[in-house]
Amino acid sequence: MRLWGEFAKGIYKENPVFKQALGMCPFLAVTTSVENALGMGAASTFVVVCSNFLVSVLRKLIPRKVRIPCYIVIIATFVTLVDMVMNAYAPQLHRSLGIFIPLIVVNCMILGRAEGFANKNTVIKSLADGFGMGVGFTLAMILIASFREILGNGTWLAVNVLGERFHNQPVLIAILAPGAFIIMGFILGTFNILERRKAGR
Amino acid sequence: MGEILRLGLILMLVALVAAVALGFVNSKTAPIIEEQERMRRQEAMRTVTSSLGDSLQFDSLAVEGLANPYAMVDRRLAVVAVSDAVSGDRLGYTFVAYGKGYSSTVQTMVGVDSSGRIVGCSILYQQETPGLGANAENQPWIGQFEGKRISQCSVRKDGGEIDSITGATITSRAVSDSVREGLEAMREQDLFEGGERA
Repeated sequence: MRLWGEFAKGIYKENPVFKQALGMCPFLAVTTSVENALGMGAASTFVVVCSNFLVSVLRKLIPRKVRIPCYIVIIATFVTLVDMVMNAYAPQLHRSLGIFIPLIVVNCMILGRAEGFANKNTVIKSLADGFGMGVGFTLAMILIASFREILGNGTWLAVNVLGERFHNQPVLIAILAPGAFIIMGFILGTFNILERRKAGR
Repeated sequence: MGEILRLGLILMLVALVAAVALGFVNSKTAPIIEEQERMRRQEAMRTVTSSLGDSLQFDSLAVEGLANPYAMVDRRLAVVAVSDAVSGDRLGYTFVAYGKGYSSTVQTMVGVDSSGRIVGCSILYQQETPGLGANAENQPWIGQFEGKRISQCSVRKDGGEIDSITGATITSRAVSDSVREGLEAMREQDLFEGGERA
């Protein structure tokens, strides 16, 4: 039950994107389509689970003073492994995600979980936390990517949902960089309204 | 002093383990990746020249001297001559065009017939903006090069006949210009029959 709590908090209560505003760089950069969001989410989840695991295992061995460089090395190693293995055994997926994989290193959600959770909690809890954060991150990306892909391209997961005419003349700004910030603003605003209602009750 | 040494050693140990792990995985995956890359190139070469004939033979040529350093590797354009495997007649050429795009060097495999008309194009490598420039590798955009000649091979803004991708003029221009520059270099070497001009 406690474990479920560690997992579930990443999905809404401590959602890395909407509540902690972590990992915004890949979040805003790759959410131009739902397919990218899914792939990036899966790769990030893998890395955050692995790095949480290793950081938690080594938490008593790594001296405080050099912990950050150690975490960075661990995370960068996992990202490079994902990159090489995916390139060799899933070239198709690697081709569509290739540009985002190095971006996982700069995802501060992963460093944030290593520093904020995994280095002071047990291995099992850290695994649950990493998995929850990864899923929360993925869901958040799918949410914003849905808005952006539907508005900016008229499709959802590459399926045409708004008709041929809209597809040919979409709201292009939605998949351009400013659109990411605008839609992000609306989503955060909505979350704040919901929170306020909840608190007011 | 001893403290710094201890921290440094621990950090070195962590980095060493990481380096060994990465080196090991790299030694396992690098040959597979290279082989796949080679297969993809050959596959693309066959696809862009498929309209030239059924049984084709590919032989490397090299064309020197191009103005744009991105249009080639080592200032050489690697041109592959395509001929009929049976009669040996020269049917056309393929080459890889390198164009500086928005966020990557876009590599395009180009197939031309022996008169200099493009018979097929396919993007080999790009890391352009997903949803914008990255769409260059999809139909119908890349397909519009088919049937084009040197003078038509630039974006409409530059007086050619290639429609730019909305929001990705830089990528569109990178592909069109690199393809055209490759064709121009081949024309200078008199590779095309019938004196393709203009």
